[in-house]
Amino acid sequence: MTHQKNEEILKAENVSLKYGEKTILRDINMTIHNIVRPDLCQGQVVSLIGRSGIGKTQLFKILAGMNKPTSGAVLIGADMHEVREGEVGVVSQNYILFNHRTIRRNLEIALEHNDTNYTDKDKADIIKDYGDKFNLSEHLDKYPMQLSGGQRQRVSILQQALTSNKFILLDEPFSGLDALVIDKVVDLLLKISTIDELSTLIIVSHDIENSMAISDTVFIMANQPNKEGATITEKLDLIDMGMAWNPEIKSDHQFQDMVAHMKYKI
Amino acid sequence: MLVFIQIAFVLALWQWLGGGLIPSPGKIGLRILEIIKSGNFWDNFLMSLTLTLKGMCIALVIALAFSYLSLIPFFRPMAKFVIKCRYLTLTGLIFLFTLLTSDGSQLKLSLLLFGIVPFFVTSYLSVIDGIDRQEFELCSTLGMNKWRTLWEVIIVGRLDQVFEVMRQNFAIAWMMITMVEGLSMSEGGLGTMLIKSNKYIDLATVFAILVIIFLIGVFFDYILGALRFWLFPYTKIQLRNK
Repeated sequence: MTHQKNEEILKAENVSLKYGEKTILRDINMTIHNIVRPDLCQGQVVSLIGRSGIGKTQLFKILAGMNKPTSGAVLIGADMHEVREGEVGVVSQNYILFNHRTIRRNLEIALEHNDTNYTDKDKADIIKDYGDKFNLSEHLDKYPMQLSGGQRQRVSILQQALTSNKFILLDEPFSGLDALVIDKVVDLLLKISTIDELSTLIIVSHDIENSMAISDTVFIMANQPNKEGATITEKLDLIDMGMAWNPEIKSDHQFQDMVAHMKYKI
Repeated sequence: MLVFIQIAFVLALWQWLGGGLIPSPGKIGLRILEIIKSGNFWDNFLMSLTLTLKGMCIALVIALAFSYLSLIPFFRPMAKFVIKCRYLTLTGLIFLFTLLTSDGSQLKLSLLLFGIVPFFVTSYLSVIDGIDRQEFELCSTLGMNKWRTLWEVIIVGRLDQVFEVMRQNFAIAWMMITMVEGLSMSEGGLGTMLIKSNKYIDLATVFAILVIIFLIGVFFDYILGALRFWLFPYTKIQLRNK
Protein backbone atom coordinates (compact mmCIF):
# COMPACT_ATOMS: atom_id res chain seq x y z
CA MET A 1 0.00 0.00 0.00
CA THR A 2 1.83 3.07 -1.24
CA HIS A 3 1.18 6.09 0.87
CA GLN A 4 2.90 9.09 2.23
CA LYS A 5 2.50 10.81 5.57
CA ASN A 6 2.74 14.50 4.93
CA GLU A 7 2.22 17.53 7.14
CA GLU A 8 0.53 17.52 10.54
CA ILE A 9 -3.12 18.57 10.29
CA LEU A 10 -4.25 18.17 13.89
CA LYS A 11 -2.27 18.04 17.05
CA ALA A 12 -3.17 17.81 20.73
CA GLU A 13 -0.29 19.05 22.87
CA ASN A 14 -0.15 18.18 26.56
CA VAL A 15 -3.90 18.56 26.94
CA SER A 16 -5.07 18.23 30.52
CA LEU A 17 -8.47 18.83 32.06
CA LYS A 18 -9.25 19.24 35.74
CA TYR A 19 -12.52 19.83 37.52
CA GLY A 20 -11.50 21.31 40.84
CA GLU A 21 -8.93 18.92 42.25
CA LYS A 22 -10.06 16.01 40.09
CA THR A 23 -7.99 15.28 36.99
CA ILE A 24 -10.13 14.03 34.11
CA LEU A 25 -7.59 14.11 31.28
CA ARG A 26 -3.83 14.07 31.70
CA ASP A 27 -1.11 14.98 29.20
CA ILE A 28 -2.97 13.99 26.07
CA ASN A 29 -0.64 14.06 23.10
CA MET A 30 -1.77 12.99 19.65
CA THR A 31 -0.88 14.00 16.14
CA ILE A 32 -2.78 13.37 12.93
CA HIS A 33 -0.88 13.65 9.64
CA ASN A 34 -2.21 14.19 6.15
CA ILE A 35 -2.03 10.76 4.54
CA VAL A 36 -1.71 10.85 0.78
CA ARG A 37 -2.23 7.88 -1.53
CA PRO A 38 -1.07 8.36 -5.11
CA ASP A 39 -3.90 8.73 -7.66
CA LEU A 40 -6.54 8.63 -4.93
CA CYS A 41 -8.57 11.38 -3.31
CA GLN A 42 -8.88 10.03 0.17
CA GLY A 43 -9.12 11.53 3.61
CA GLN A 44 -8.71 9.44 6.69
CA VAL A 45 -10.51 7.93 9.63
CA VAL A 46 -8.99 8.14 13.09
CA SER A 47 -10.44 6.41 16.13
CA LEU A 48 -10.16 7.33 19.75
CA ILE A 49 -11.09 4.25 21.73
CA GLY A 50 -11.69 4.07 25.44
CA ARG A 51 -14.13 2.57 27.87
CA SER A 52 -17.32 4.39 28.84
CA GLY A 53 -16.94 7.17 31.38
CA ILE A 54 -13.22 7.61 30.93
CA GLY A 55 -13.44 11.16 29.62
CA LYS A 56 -13.81 10.61 25.87
CA THR A 57 -16.63 13.12 25.61
CA GLN A 58 -14.55 15.72 27.46
CA LEU A 59 -11.69 15.20 25.02
CA PHE A 60 -14.21 15.25 22.18
CA LYS A 61 -15.40 18.69 23.25
CA ILE A 62 -11.86 19.97 23.62
CA LEU A 63 -10.93 18.71 20.15
CA ALA A 64 -14.02 20.47 18.77
CA GLY A 65 -13.07 23.73 20.48
CA MET A 66 -16.25 23.65 22.59
CA ASN A 67 -14.38 23.34 25.89
CA LYS A 68 -11.05 24.80 26.87
CA PRO A 69 -8.51 22.44 28.44
CA THR A 70 -7.02 23.36 31.81
CA SER A 71 -3.62 23.25 30.15
CA GLY A 72 -2.25 22.40 26.72
CA ALA A 73 -3.80 23.13 23.35
CA VAL A 74 -5.34 21.59 20.26
CA LEU A 75 -3.83 22.91 17.05
CA ILE A 76 -5.27 22.46 13.56
CA GLY A 77 -4.81 23.52 9.96
CA ALA A 78 -1.75 24.22 7.87
CA ASP A 79 -0.68 27.06 10.19
CA MET A 80 -1.32 24.95 13.31
CA HIS A 81 -3.50 27.54 15.03
CA GLU A 82 -5.48 26.83 18.17
CA VAL A 83 -8.81 25.22 17.35
CA ARG A 84 -11.85 27.50 17.48
CA GLU A 85 -15.45 26.46 18.02
CA GLY A 86 -17.04 25.88 14.62
CA GLU A 87 -13.86 24.74 12.85
CA VAL A 88 -14.53 21.09 13.62
CA GLY A 89 -17.82 19.44 12.75
CA VAL A 90 -19.54 17.45 15.46
CA VAL A 91 -22.02 14.62 15.15
CA SER A 92 -23.41 13.96 18.58
CA GLN A 93 -24.65 10.60 19.76
CA ASN A 94 -28.30 11.62 19.49
CA TYR A 95 -27.97 13.22 16.05
CA ILE A 96 -29.18 16.73 16.80
CA LEU A 97 -30.84 18.46 13.84
CA PHE A 98 -33.13 21.48 13.51
CA ASN A 99 -36.48 19.80 14.13
CA HIS A 100 -38.43 22.78 12.78
CA ARG A 101 -36.71 22.51 9.38
CA THR A 102 -37.10 19.90 6.69
CA ILE A 103 -34.10 17.71 5.85
CA ARG A 104 -33.55 19.77 2.68
CA ARG A 105 -33.50 22.99 4.70
CA ASN A 106 -31.18 21.43 7.31
CA LEU A 107 -28.72 20.64 4.53
CA GLU A 108 -29.18 24.07 2.91
CA ILE A 109 -28.29 25.73 6.21
CA ALA A 110 -25.05 23.72 6.24
CA LEU A 111 -24.28 24.90 2.70
CA GLU A 112 -25.05 28.51 3.66
CA HIS A 113 -22.19 28.26 6.14
CA ASN A 114 -19.77 26.74 3.67
CA ASP A 115 -16.82 28.94 2.63
CA THR A 116 -18.03 28.78 -0.98
CA ASN A 117 -20.89 31.08 -1.91
CA TYR A 118 -23.24 28.70 -3.64
CA THR A 119 -26.18 29.92 -5.70
CA ASP A 120 -29.62 28.49 -4.94
CA LYS A 121 -29.31 26.25 -7.99
CA ASP A 122 -25.90 25.00 -6.85
CA LYS A 123 -27.32 24.21 -3.45
CA ALA A 124 -30.29 22.36 -4.93
CA ASP A 125 -27.95 20.34 -7.20
CA ILE A 126 -25.55 19.47 -4.36
CA ILE A 127 -28.38 18.39 -2.07
CA LYS A 128 -29.94 16.29 -4.83
CA ASP A 129 -26.59 14.70 -5.59
CA TYR A 130 -25.83 13.87 -1.97
CA GLY A 131 -29.42 12.84 -1.36
CA ASP A 132 -29.06 10.23 -4.13
CA LYS A 133 -25.64 9.14 -2.93
CA PHE A 134 -26.72 8.63 0.68
CA ASN A 135 -30.23 7.24 0.07
CA LEU A 136 -31.96 10.30 1.41
CA SER A 137 -33.70 11.56 -1.77
CA GLU A 138 -37.18 10.46 -0.72
CA HIS A 139 -36.78 12.01 2.73
CA LEU A 140 -35.59 15.48 1.76
CA ASP A 141 -38.97 17.11 2.32
CA LYS A 142 -39.65 15.34 5.60
CA TYR A 143 -38.94 16.67 9.08
CA PRO A 144 -36.21 15.07 11.23
CA MET A 145 -38.83 13.59 13.60
CA GLN A 146 -40.19 11.55 10.68
CA LEU A 147 -36.88 9.74 10.10
CA SER A 148 -35.45 6.67 11.77
CA GLY A 149 -32.35 6.92 13.98
CA GLY A 150 -30.11 5.65 11.18
CA GLN A 151 -31.52 8.14 8.67
CA ARG A 152 -31.11 11.01 11.14
CA GLN A 153 -27.51 9.97 11.69
CA ARG A 154 -26.89 10.06 7.93
CA VAL A 155 -28.38 13.54 7.67
CA SER A 156 -26.40 14.69 10.68
CA ILE A 157 -23.11 13.44 9.21
CA LEU A 158 -23.96 14.85 5.79
CA GLN A 159 -24.90 18.20 7.31
CA GLN A 160 -21.47 18.48 8.88
CA ALA A 161 -19.77 17.31 5.71
CA LEU A 162 -21.52 20.03 3.69
CA THR A 163 -19.99 22.81 5.77
CA SER A 164 -16.39 23.63 5.00
CA ASN A 165 -15.21 21.63 7.99
CA LYS A 166 -12.56 19.13 6.99
CA PHE A 167 -12.62 17.57 10.45
CA ILE A 168 -15.71 15.80 11.70
CA LEU A 169 -15.87 14.35 15.18
CA LEU A 170 -18.37 11.54 15.71
CA ASP A 171 -19.46 10.60 19.19
CA GLU A 172 -20.22 6.87 19.46
CA PRO A 173 -21.49 6.49 15.87
CA PHE A 174 -22.18 2.75 16.31
CA SER A 175 -23.98 3.00 19.59
CA GLY A 176 -27.44 1.42 19.69
CA LEU A 177 -27.36 0.26 16.05
CA ASP A 178 -27.89 -3.29 14.87
CA ALA A 179 -25.24 -5.13 12.83
CA LEU A 180 -26.89 -4.40 9.47
CA VAL A 181 -27.16 -0.69 10.15
CA ILE A 182 -23.57 -0.59 11.43
CA ASP A 183 -22.39 -1.88 8.04
CA LYS A 184 -24.32 0.95 6.37
CA VAL A 185 -22.79 3.50 8.75
CA VAL A 186 -19.33 2.15 7.98
CA ASP A 187 -20.02 2.56 4.24
CA LEU A 188 -21.31 6.08 4.84
CA LEU A 189 -18.26 7.09 6.87
CA LEU A 190 -15.91 5.71 4.24
CA LYS A 191 -17.80 7.64 1.55
CA ILE A 192 -17.64 10.84 3.59
CA SER A 193 -13.93 10.37 4.15
CA THR A 194 -13.36 10.34 0.40
CA ILE A 195 -15.16 13.64 -0.27
CA ASP A 196 -11.95 15.61 0.13
CA GLU A 197 -8.26 14.80 0.38
CA LEU A 198 -8.17 16.50 3.79
CA SER A 199 -11.43 15.04 5.12
CA THR A 200 -10.66 13.62 8.53
CA LEU A 201 -13.21 11.71 10.55
CA ILE A 202 -12.41 11.26 14.21
CA ILE A 203 -14.50 8.56 15.79
CA VAL A 204 -14.77 8.57 19.56
CA SER A 205 -16.08 5.20 20.63
CA HIS A 206 -15.89 2.23 22.96
CA ASP A 207 -16.71 -0.12 20.06
CA ILE A 208 -13.25 -1.49 19.34
CA GLU A 209 -14.02 -3.80 16.43
CA ASN A 210 -16.09 -1.45 14.27
CA SER A 211 -13.90 1.56 14.98
CA MET A 212 -10.71 -0.29 14.13
CA ALA A 213 -12.21 -1.83 10.99
CA ILE A 214 -12.56 1.51 9.26
CA SER A 215 -9.66 3.43 10.79
CA ASP A 216 -6.22 4.27 9.53
CA THR A 217 -4.99 5.25 12.97
CA VAL A 218 -6.26 4.28 16.40
CA PHE A 219 -5.51 6.03 19.67
CA ILE A 220 -6.19 4.09 22.84
CA MET A 221 -7.35 6.13 25.78
CA ALA A 222 -7.03 4.60 29.24
CA ASN A 223 -5.97 5.18 32.82
CA GLN A 224 -2.46 4.30 33.92
CA PRO A 225 -1.73 2.64 37.27
CA ASN A 226 -1.44 5.05 40.20
CA LYS A 227 -2.06 8.08 38.02
CA GLU A 228 -5.24 10.10 38.04
CA GLY A 229 -6.85 11.07 34.73
CA ALA A 230 -7.06 9.31 31.39
CA THR A 231 -4.41 9.69 28.75
CA ILE A 232 -3.43 8.28 25.36
CA THR A 233 -1.67 5.05 26.20
CA GLU A 234 -1.10 3.68 22.74
CA LYS A 235 -1.19 4.59 19.07
CA LEU A 236 -1.82 1.95 16.42
CA ASP A 237 -0.83 2.76 12.87
CA LEU A 238 -3.12 0.36 11.00
CA ILE A 239 -1.66 1.40 7.63
CA ASP A 240 1.82 0.30 8.64
CA MET A 241 0.32 -2.85 10.14
CA GLY A 242 -1.38 -3.62 6.83
CA MET A 243 -4.85 -3.48 8.32
CA ALA A 244 -6.21 -0.28 6.79
CA TRP A 245 -8.29 0.19 3.64
CA ASN A 246 -9.41 -3.43 3.65
CA PRO A 247 -13.22 -3.89 3.51
CA GLU A 248 -12.88 -7.55 4.59
CA ILE A 249 -10.63 -6.84 7.56
CA LYS A 250 -13.18 -8.02 10.13
CA SER A 251 -12.76 -11.60 8.93
CA ASP A 252 -8.97 -11.42 9.27
CA HIS A 253 -7.65 -13.57 12.18
CA GLN A 254 -4.81 -11.20 12.95
CA PHE A 255 -7.29 -8.34 13.16
CA GLN A 256 -9.62 -10.27 15.45
CA ASP A 257 -6.68 -11.19 17.71
CA MET A 258 -5.80 -7.56 17.93
CA VAL A 259 -9.38 -6.58 18.79
CA ALA A 260 -9.40 -9.19 21.56
CA HIS A 261 -6.05 -7.91 22.81
CA MET A 262 -7.30 -4.29 22.81
CA LYS A 263 -10.19 -5.16 25.09
CA TYR A 264 -7.67 -5.66 27.89
CA LYS A 265 -5.94 -2.40 27.19
CA ILE A 266 -8.83 -0.02 27.64
CA MET B 1 -68.20 10.33 21.30
CA LEU B 2 -67.81 9.22 24.90
CA VAL B 3 -67.43 12.86 25.95
CA PHE B 4 -70.70 13.83 24.23
CA ILE B 5 -72.56 10.93 25.87
CA GLN B 6 -71.21 11.91 29.28
CA ILE B 7 -72.12 15.59 28.77
CA ALA B 8 -75.62 14.61 27.63
CA PHE B 9 -76.02 12.38 30.70
CA VAL B 10 -74.91 15.13 33.11
CA LEU B 11 -77.22 17.69 31.44
CA ALA B 12 -80.16 15.28 31.57
CA LEU B 13 -79.47 14.60 35.26
CA TRP B 14 -79.16 18.33 35.95
CA GLN B 15 -82.43 19.03 34.11
CA TRP B 16 -84.23 16.27 36.00
CA LEU B 17 -82.92 17.22 39.47
CA GLY B 18 -82.89 20.99 38.80
CA GLY B 19 -85.41 23.63 39.77
CA GLY B 20 -83.75 24.90 42.96
CA LEU B 21 -81.26 27.73 43.23
CA ILE B 22 -79.34 26.75 40.09
CA PRO B 23 -81.40 27.16 36.92
CA SER B 24 -81.94 24.08 34.78
CA PRO B 25 -80.02 23.57 31.51
CA GLY B 26 -83.19 24.09 29.51
CA LYS B 27 -83.77 27.46 31.14
CA ILE B 28 -80.14 28.47 30.63
CA GLY B 29 -80.31 27.34 26.98
CA LEU B 30 -83.39 29.47 26.35
CA ARG B 31 -81.75 32.46 28.04
CA ILE B 32 -78.64 31.98 25.85
CA LEU B 33 -80.85 32.21 22.75
CA GLU B 34 -82.52 35.36 24.11
CA ILE B 35 -79.13 36.96 24.88
CA ILE B 36 -77.74 36.13 21.45
CA LYS B 37 -80.84 37.53 19.74
CA SER B 38 -80.71 40.75 21.76
CA GLY B 39 -79.12 43.69 19.98
CA ASN B 40 -76.48 44.57 22.57
CA PHE B 41 -74.94 41.08 22.91
CA TRP B 42 -72.82 41.32 19.79
CA ASP B 43 -71.59 44.80 20.75
CA ASN B 44 -70.60 43.51 24.18
CA PHE B 45 -69.05 40.38 22.72
CA LEU B 46 -66.99 42.37 20.22
CA MET B 47 -65.91 44.79 22.93
CA SER B 48 -64.60 41.93 25.11
CA LEU B 49 -63.01 40.11 22.20
CA THR B 50 -61.30 43.24 20.85
CA LEU B 51 -59.95 44.12 24.28
CA THR B 52 -58.68 40.55 24.83
CA LEU B 53 -57.01 40.32 21.41
CA LYS B 54 -55.50 43.80 21.77
CA GLY B 55 -54.22 42.85 25.21
CA MET B 56 -52.85 39.53 23.89
CA CYS B 57 -51.00 41.19 21.01
CA ILE B 58 -49.39 43.87 23.16
CA ALA B 59 -48.63 41.36 25.92
CA LEU B 60 -47.02 39.07 23.33
CA VAL B 61 -44.68 41.83 22.14
CA ILE B 62 -43.75 42.90 25.68
CA ALA B 63 -43.31 39.32 26.92
CA LEU B 64 -41.19 38.26 23.94
CA ALA B 65 -39.03 41.36 24.36
CA PHE B 66 -38.48 40.52 28.05
CA SER B 67 -37.83 36.85 27.25
CA TYR B 68 -35.33 37.48 24.44
CA LEU B 69 -33.60 40.24 26.40
CA SER B 70 -33.29 37.88 29.37
CA LEU B 71 -30.60 36.04 27.38
CA ILE B 72 -28.38 39.08 27.99
CA PRO B 73 -27.21 38.80 31.63
CA PHE B 74 -27.99 42.49 32.30
CA PHE B 75 -31.70 41.97 31.60
CA ARG B 76 -32.04 38.62 33.38
CA PRO B 77 -32.95 40.12 36.80
CA MET B 78 -35.66 42.23 35.16
CA ALA B 79 -37.21 39.19 33.53
CA LYS B 80 -37.01 37.35 36.88
CA PHE B 81 -38.79 40.26 38.55
CA VAL B 82 -41.55 40.24 35.92
CA ILE B 83 -42.06 36.53 36.62
CA LYS B 84 -42.46 37.23 40.33
CA CYS B 85 -45.12 39.87 39.53
CA ARG B 86 -47.54 36.94 39.14
CA TYR B 87 -47.92 37.15 42.91
CA LEU B 88 -48.93 40.81 42.90
CA THR B 89 -52.66 41.11 43.24
CA LEU B 90 -54.35 43.42 40.77
CA THR B 91 -56.93 44.59 43.29
CA GLY B 92 -54.35 46.55 45.25
CA LEU B 93 -53.07 48.26 42.13
CA ILE B 94 -56.36 49.41 40.64
CA PHE B 95 -56.11 52.83 42.32
CA LEU B 96 -52.58 53.37 40.98
CA PHE B 97 -53.58 52.31 37.46
CA THR B 98 -56.64 54.59 37.59
CA LEU B 99 -54.34 57.52 38.34
CA LEU B 100 -51.87 56.56 35.65
CA THR B 101 -54.39 56.07 32.82
CA SER B 102 -56.59 58.68 31.20
CA ASP B 103 -59.77 56.70 30.50
CA GLY B 104 -61.58 53.44 31.24
CA SER B 105 -60.38 51.76 28.07
CA GLN B 106 -56.73 52.39 28.94
CA LEU B 107 -57.32 51.28 32.50
CA LYS B 108 -58.79 47.95 31.38
CA LEU B 109 -56.03 47.38 28.87
CA SER B 110 -53.21 48.18 31.28
CA LEU B 111 -54.69 45.96 33.99
CA LEU B 112 -55.09 43.16 31.48
CA LEU B 113 -51.48 43.58 30.37
CA PHE B 114 -50.24 43.64 33.93
CA GLY B 115 -52.16 40.45 34.53
CA ILE B 116 -51.05 38.52 31.44
CA VAL B 117 -47.42 39.55 30.84
CA PRO B 118 -45.90 37.83 33.93
CA PHE B 119 -47.60 34.53 33.01
CA PHE B 120 -46.53 34.87 29.40
CA VAL B 121 -42.89 35.60 30.37
CA THR B 122 -42.91 32.70 32.87
CA SER B 123 -44.13 30.23 30.24
CA TYR B 124 -41.81 31.44 27.51
CA LEU B 125 -38.72 31.53 29.73
CA SER B 126 -39.36 27.93 30.69
CA VAL B 127 -39.48 27.10 26.97
CA ILE B 128 -36.11 28.83 26.47
CA ASP B 129 -34.61 27.18 29.56
CA GLY B 130 -35.72 23.79 28.24
CA ILE B 131 -33.76 24.07 24.98
CA ASP B 132 -31.21 21.28 24.61
CA ARG B 133 -27.68 22.71 24.88
CA GLN B 134 -26.70 20.52 21.94
CA GLU B 135 -28.85 22.66 19.64
CA PHE B 136 -26.59 25.63 20.39
CA GLU B 137 -23.55 23.40 19.88
CA LEU B 138 -24.93 22.35 16.50
CA CYS B 139 -25.15 25.99 15.49
CA SER B 140 -21.56 26.64 16.47
CA THR B 141 -20.30 23.57 14.60
CA LEU B 142 -22.13 24.87 11.53
CA GLY B 143 -20.29 28.16 11.92
CA MET B 144 -23.30 30.29 12.85
CA ASN B 145 -22.73 33.54 14.68
CA LYS B 146 -24.65 34.42 17.86
CA TRP B 147 -27.39 36.34 16.07
CA ARG B 148 -28.03 33.53 13.62
CA THR B 149 -28.05 31.06 16.51
CA LEU B 150 -30.59 33.20 18.37
CA TRP B 151 -32.71 33.42 15.23
CA GLU B 152 -32.53 29.70 14.37
CA VAL B 153 -32.83 28.11 17.80
CA ILE B 154 -34.76 30.53 19.96
CA ILE B 155 -36.84 32.69 17.62
CA VAL B 156 -37.78 30.53 14.62
CA GLY B 157 -37.10 27.22 16.34
CA ARG B 158 -39.53 27.96 19.16
CA LEU B 159 -42.19 29.95 17.25
CA ASP B 160 -44.58 27.02 17.53
CA GLN B 161 -44.20 27.12 21.29
CA VAL B 162 -44.98 30.83 21.31
CA PHE B 163 -48.32 29.78 19.85
CA GLU B 164 -48.78 27.18 22.56
CA VAL B 165 -47.92 29.73 25.25
CA MET B 166 -50.38 32.13 23.60
CA ARG B 167 -53.07 29.47 23.66
CA GLN B 168 -52.55 28.85 27.37
CA ASN B 169 -52.44 32.54 28.17
CA PHE B 170 -55.53 33.30 26.12
CA ALA B 171 -57.38 31.36 28.78
CA ILE B 172 -55.92 33.61 31.50
CA ALA B 173 -56.73 36.76 29.49
CA TRP B 174 -60.27 35.57 28.76
CA MET B 175 -60.77 34.76 32.42
CA MET B 176 -59.48 38.18 33.47
CA ILE B 177 -61.54 40.10 30.97
CA THR B 178 -64.73 39.84 33.01
CA MET B 179 -62.88 41.18 36.04
CA VAL B 180 -61.31 44.21 34.35
CA GLU B 181 -64.53 45.03 32.52
CA GLY B 182 -66.25 45.24 35.86
CA LEU B 183 -63.95 48.11 36.81
CA SER B 184 -65.07 50.37 33.99
CA MET B 185 -68.54 49.40 32.86
CA SER B 186 -69.29 52.41 30.62
CA GLU B 187 -67.93 50.65 27.51
CA GLY B 188 -69.83 47.42 28.07
CA GLY B 189 -68.46 43.94 27.42
CA LEU B 190 -69.37 40.44 28.56
CA GLY B 191 -67.93 41.18 32.00
CA THR B 192 -70.24 44.18 32.35
CA MET B 193 -73.23 42.04 31.33
CA LEU B 194 -72.24 39.45 33.91
CA ILE B 195 -71.83 41.94 36.74
CA LYS B 196 -75.17 43.64 35.97
CA SER B 197 -76.95 40.28 35.98
CA ASN B 198 -75.27 39.37 39.25
CA LYS B 199 -76.44 42.63 40.76
CA TYR B 200 -80.09 41.79 40.02
CA ILE B 201 -79.57 38.15 41.07
CA ASP B 202 -80.72 37.10 37.59
CA LEU B 203 -79.12 33.66 37.88
CA ALA B 204 -80.41 32.28 34.56
CA THR B 205 -78.73 35.18 32.72
CA VAL B 206 -75.57 34.85 34.84
CA PHE B 207 -75.29 31.15 33.98
CA ALA B 208 -76.16 31.82 30.34
CA ILE B 209 -73.37 34.43 30.06
CA LEU B 210 -70.97 32.07 31.85
CA VAL B 211 -71.77 29.32 29.34
CA ILE B 212 -71.29 31.76 26.44
CA ILE B 213 -67.93 32.91 27.84
CA PHE B 214 -66.93 29.28 28.38
CA LEU B 215 -67.88 28.22 24.83
CA ILE B 216 -66.12 31.19 23.23
CA GLY B 217 -63.00 30.37 25.26
CA VAL B 218 -63.08 26.72 24.20
CA PHE B 219 -63.62 27.78 20.56
CA PHE B 220 -60.59 30.10 20.58
CA ASP B 221 -58.52 27.44 22.33
CA TYR B 222 -59.34 25.08 19.48
CA ILE B 223 -58.67 27.73 16.81
CA LEU B 224 -55.25 28.60 18.26
CA GLY B 225 -54.37 24.90 18.54
CA ALA B 226 -55.44 24.23 14.95
CA LEU B 227 -53.57 27.32 13.76
CA ARG B 228 -50.43 26.04 15.46
CA PHE B 229 -50.64 22.68 13.66
CA TRP B 230 -51.37 24.40 10.36
CA LEU B 231 -48.53 26.92 10.59
CA PHE B 232 -46.00 24.50 12.09
CA PRO B 233 -46.79 21.01 10.77
CA TYR B 234 -43.81 19.44 12.57
CA THR B 235 -45.49 20.03 15.94
CA LYS B 236 -48.08 17.40 15.02
CA ILE B 237 -45.30 14.88 14.35
CA GLN B 238 -43.56 15.75 17.63
CA LEU B 239 -46.78 15.23 19.58
CA ARG B 240 -47.43 11.94 17.82
CA ASN B 241 -43.91 10.71 18.65
CA LYS B 242 -44.23 11.54 22.38
